Amino acid sequence: MLAITLHDLRFRARQFLIAIVGAGLVFAMTLLLSGLAAGFGVEVDQTVTGMGSQAWVVAQGSSGRVAALSPLPAFAEFPVTSAPGVQRADPVIVVPQAATVGHQLKSIVLVGYRSGGLGVPPVLTGRPVQADGEAVVDARLGLGVGQQFSVSGHALTVVGTVNGRTLLGGIADAYVTLGEAQAIVFEGRPLVSAILTTGVPRALPAGLTVMSNAQVENRSLAQMSSASSSIDNSRSFMWIIAAVIVAALVYVTALERTRDFAVMKALGASSGALFLGLATQAVLVALAAAAIGALLSTFMSGIFAQPVDIPSSAFIVLSVSALVVGLLASLVALRRAISVDPAMAFAG
Amino acid sequence: MAELEVRDLTVEFTSGDYVVRPLSGLSFDADDGELVVVLGPSGCGKTTLLSCLSGLLTPTSGSISFRGVDVGSLSGPALGDYRRYTVGVVFQAFNLIRSLSARGNVMSPLRLAKVPRRTAMARADELLEIVGLSERAGHKPAEMSGGQQQRVAIARALAHDPPLIVADEPTAHLDYIQVEGVLRLLRSLSSPGRLVLVSTHDDRITNIADRVIELAPQFAVADRDPEEVALAAGQILFKQGDRGDLVYLVEEGEIEIFQVKADGSEEHLAVIGAGNYFGELGPMLNLPRSAWARAKGPSRLTGYTVRAFRRRFPAPGAGVQSPVAPLGV
Repeated sequence: MLAITLHDLRFRARQFLIAIVGAGLVFAMTLLLSGLAAGFGVEVDQTVTGMGSQAWVVAQGSSGRVAALSPLPAFAEFPVTSAPGVQRADPVIVVPQAATVGHQLKSIVLVGYRSGGLGVPPVLTGRPVQADGEAVVDARLGLGVGQQFSVSGHALTVVGTVNGRTLLGGIADAYVTLGEAQAIVFEGRPLVSAILTTGVPRALPAGLTVMSNAQVENRSLAQMSSASSSIDNSRSFMWIIAAVIVAALVYVTALERTRDFAVMKALGASSGALFLGLATQAVLVALAAAAIGALLSTFMSGIFAQPVDIPSSAFIVLSVSALVVGLLASLVALRRAISVDPAMAFAG
Repeated sequence: MAELEVRDLTVEFTSGDYVVRPLSGLSFDADDGELVVVLGPSGCGKTTLLSCLSGLLTPTSGSISFRGVDVGSLSGPALGDYRRYTVGVVFQAFNLIRSLSARGNVMSPLRLAKVPRRTAMARADELLEIVGLSERAGHKPAEMSGGQQQRVAIARALAHDPPLIVADEPTAHLDYIQVEGVLRLLRSLSSPGRLVLVSTHDDRITNIADRVIELAPQFAVADRDPEEVALAAGQILFKQGDRGDLVYLVEEGEIEIFQVKADGSEEHLAVIGAGNYFGELGPMLNLPRSAWARAKGPSRLTGYTVRAFRRRFPAPGAGVQSPVAPLGV
């Protein structure tokens, strides 16, 4: 039966290829959606852990979301620095802003940090920020070293670029001095978003609370929960579409092979053997589509503005899911195969 | 004891709302080594008979016995073995699997029976040699003529070397040169150890047969004097499925024509009054009656053979008409 199944696959290669490409595109989208969802976590993790701290001291009652922290007085740095358990403490400002690049308005996440302190980004090209008026930006902003942009009327010159430093779904981080950030965000007032520490403070003054990197990341990701939920729903829908494509192909093939089924039954094939043949075809089509999808996803990730990080587990899930999709699809044609009367082979 | 014994074979099934009986009480014998031709027009039950002989259709009543085995009593694995190893089937429309080569098609019954691939391949090549198609072993059905496809189908039927071969209209789609080749092959297959049964509507093939089974009997006298028939009220003239050779002209009274549905209810088709005729298509085309005829009240009819009816009424509508002409009874 396997030989007959494989011969039939070759015989109908064109229609199977169409279904494989169609389902493959859908599978590629599911992988990319997995990558998008994972990308939210990756960008938060890279931004938060990239600060080089072990804990964040924030205002009591602050949301804990890295780009939505309640401001606290800059002088809070002093009691934090001397708090038991703290080895080093540096203030940081993290606030979404709008940047004017040429004639375009682009979203950025402005990060103000103390030069030489915690929060220094790993520069890919150029050099770190050393003075006011300078900025290190993520490559997604599309600016190179020497190019200029402005934020709330403050002109900034790019002195360095980084990679993989985005937040909120692909919005580029832009790193400036702490003073520049205070001037832009707080009109020069001595306020900061958080105090970064190495070592975890064991006691803090009233009005302050400590969060670990993990806590900050979790709360920041919760901000993207509706986007993640939409992506998950879309991904589920994509699986259904892929299953329908494969099932439709298998069913149409079964309709075309009704006479073949009758002849094979007349020659001694059992309904179980026929179903096995159908299931084999469906699974092979689904797995081939999964392979195409995996290949396409590696080339298609660049079409998205935000980071796409497809986890390895997604490829394994895809393979297993393709197997399930194939088996389910073959059930659609099972009834057709079982119900064929072998006496039909006598029909002219 | 004959190799093949068919006794009172009847097959009845429902088609739409109606009961159809393609075989009614058929009985015949056939012996080992014979080429048996089952002769009859379309719709007379040839394919139904072959379906029963090959174990693919269960008759409504009657029995089929091959080499002492009651085919009707077989079920499950035993029936599967009968279909696989005892009978080889050559289908009317070849029914080769399009995606397989000639060799692949001949191998298919063997592979489905889990015969190892090499053994199956060797056997397939041997059979293709027998039917004269060795050079076409790698060709797909679409690359072969009708006659070649039919010979591949015969080779496939021989895969398990069955003692019974049934061939359903094996020459139906072939030109006369291909017909000769196929018939020669079938004739050569009917030898001691094998019985070959061929169904056909072409009575020329009966010339090579050892035995002929006529499913639509030819009436002994094609022409005879008209018969007077008197019917009492409610009396049945003929039933659906009966064989008849007479066209009836109603002289007096009325005859109702009706069909009996599968649920037993009657569907009235027409009432034939004096001066009208009915029942012409069955005798003309040698088909069973397709409806019942019953006298509504006391009636008198004259039954004509087809020839006599044409002599009596040479022109259509010449003083008579058939209210049920579109149906034909």
